[in-house]
Amino acid sequence: METPEGIALRLRAAGALPRACAWAIDFAIRLAVVWICAIVLALLGSAGMGLYLIVLFCVFWVYPVLFEVLRDGQTLGKRALGLRVVNANGTPVGWVASVVRNLMRTVDMLPLMYGFGLVASLADTHSRRFGDMVAGTLVIHVENPHGHSSAPQVPAVPTPIPLPAAEQAAIVAFAERARLLTPERQQELANLLPQLTQARGAVAVQRLLGLANSFLGRR
Amino acid sequence: MKQDIFQERHEPEWQALEQWLKQRTRPRVQERSRDAEGVFGDLEFPGAYRRVCQHLALAQRRGYSVVLIDRLQDLVHRGHLVLYRPRSPRLQAVVQFFGAEFPRLVRSQWRAMWLSAALMFLPMLTIMALLQYRPELVHSIMPAEQIAKLEAMYDPADSDARLGRESGSDVQMFGVYIMNNISIGFRTFASGLIFCVGSIFSLVFNGVFFGAAFGHLIAIGYGEPLWRFVVGHSAPELLAIVISGGAGMQLGFALIAPGRRSRGRALVEAGILGAKLVFGVFVLLLFAAFVEAFWSSIGWMPNLVKLGVGAALWLAILLWLWRGGRGAAHAG
Repeated sequence: METPEGIALRLRAAGALPRACAWAIDFAIRLAVVWICAIVLALLGSAGMGLYLIVLFCVFWVYPVLFEVLRDGQTLGKRALGLRVVNANGTPVGWVASVVRNLMRTVDMLPLMYGFGLVASLADTHSRRFGDMVAGTLVIHVENPHGHSSAPQVPAVPTPIPLPAAEQAAIVAFAERARLLTPERQQELANLLPQLTQARGAVAVQRLLGLANSFLGRR
Repeated sequence: MKQDIFQERHEPEWQALEQWLKQRTRPRVQERSRDAEGVFGDLEFPGAYRRVCQHLALAQRRGYSVVLIDRLQDLVHRGHLVLYRPRSPRLQAVVQFFGAEFPRLVRSQWRAMWLSAALMFLPMLTIMALLQYRPELVHSIMPAEQIAKLEAMYDPADSDARLGRESGSDVQMFGVYIMNNISIGFRTFASGLIFCVGSIFSLVFNGVFFGAAFGHLIAIGYGEPLWRFVVGHSAPELLAIVISGGAGMQLGFALIAPGRRSRGRALVEAGILGAKLVFGVFVLLLFAAFVEAFWSSIGWMPNLVKLGVGAALWLAILLWLWRGGRGAAHAG
């Protein structure tokens, strides 16, 4: 996705599972609101019944639109899961797009339990459901999935040759996963980069971890 | 330039932008305007944002560390969300929409609208006419208990009671009409995405149902209370369902025959158009629910007033859809 400023922004589209979780949280909240309103309004007799149905209408149709437009693309469930609805070009959703994507839930819900929506989001490269395709919206992760915190702390080693971003990212990813690998496997991987580490075995692993730390800005 | 120097040089700018963004995106409006003054004024934001965009591009090009790039990415994305957020709706735009844009949109989709009207009114009129000659056919359309319910609602014998309902206060029925009718309108639109099938089904189904109910009640001589009840809200309600059906069908058409656009592009355009039409449908149905709950049920009103108001509403809404927004400059 490229912005008008000529910057390539990376948006991480959210898959079906976190979105289903967010929906479940929203559903629980909505159920609670409806339930509480039902109890309170039951005291008002038949007029309360009418108000209750109006509340039901609002909770069912208006709640997601209102939150998505006024709360930066986040319903309460999406906020809890760190998701956000944005237009395909990364801008915040407006009224029209939000209304479309939420009305289209009618179709995504078919034949039961969001069946069409699930199939669509599994088949689509950006895991959009039909509502998102028609509205031209995306559901993205707000936060970076891993805060680069899991890389082990070792003294940083300055890099002998400047590396492009993708290669830096690969070395950082190695450091983050180092704990999950056996020492033999770590050494085997580190031995693939003799020019960079100028060593072999355990020393090479330490060098790589040091490089990762320097890329991560630690000292 | 070394990364350290780069970071050192621009750190204050990034922190200022971060601070500004944090305060600008607070939920409460009053807090925003008060706090954001301290960092820099709103007018300086686009410039600051663009400078950070440039820093991000430099950092990516020069292969600075992943952490720095991630941080700048995050900053830029948040700035992007603020800079390109949709304008808040203003009263003038709303008036302009309902006065001119909505009728124009309806007319621009005249094929879908006429088709939608035909799909609802033809079955309705056919069945109404049919039931005058073969009244027993109603039993093959509606279950017996529903017929009994309908007859109870419009029985001329207890005409002092409220029209068109068995029980329940005005407010209760208002709620019922909002929940049911507006949901039907929304679903009629949305289900058009499945190659028009959902909209067509919904339109024909409603046409058949109305036709059967009206035809049966007229055939057994309950015509007068029926007309007295339905005439008031019939115009906004039926026209709203026709428009939502038309909006749904143009969505289906975009999928079936996108023309010279890609299917995705055609769908997005049809979706925007459909959503605007649905805003109008929503308002029409809200109005219809209001009329139905608080006006149509009044029993003592003379026929002349009831029919006059009904006719006036039909005329006014059709005139609005036909003439609204003509002559005014097209906003594109």
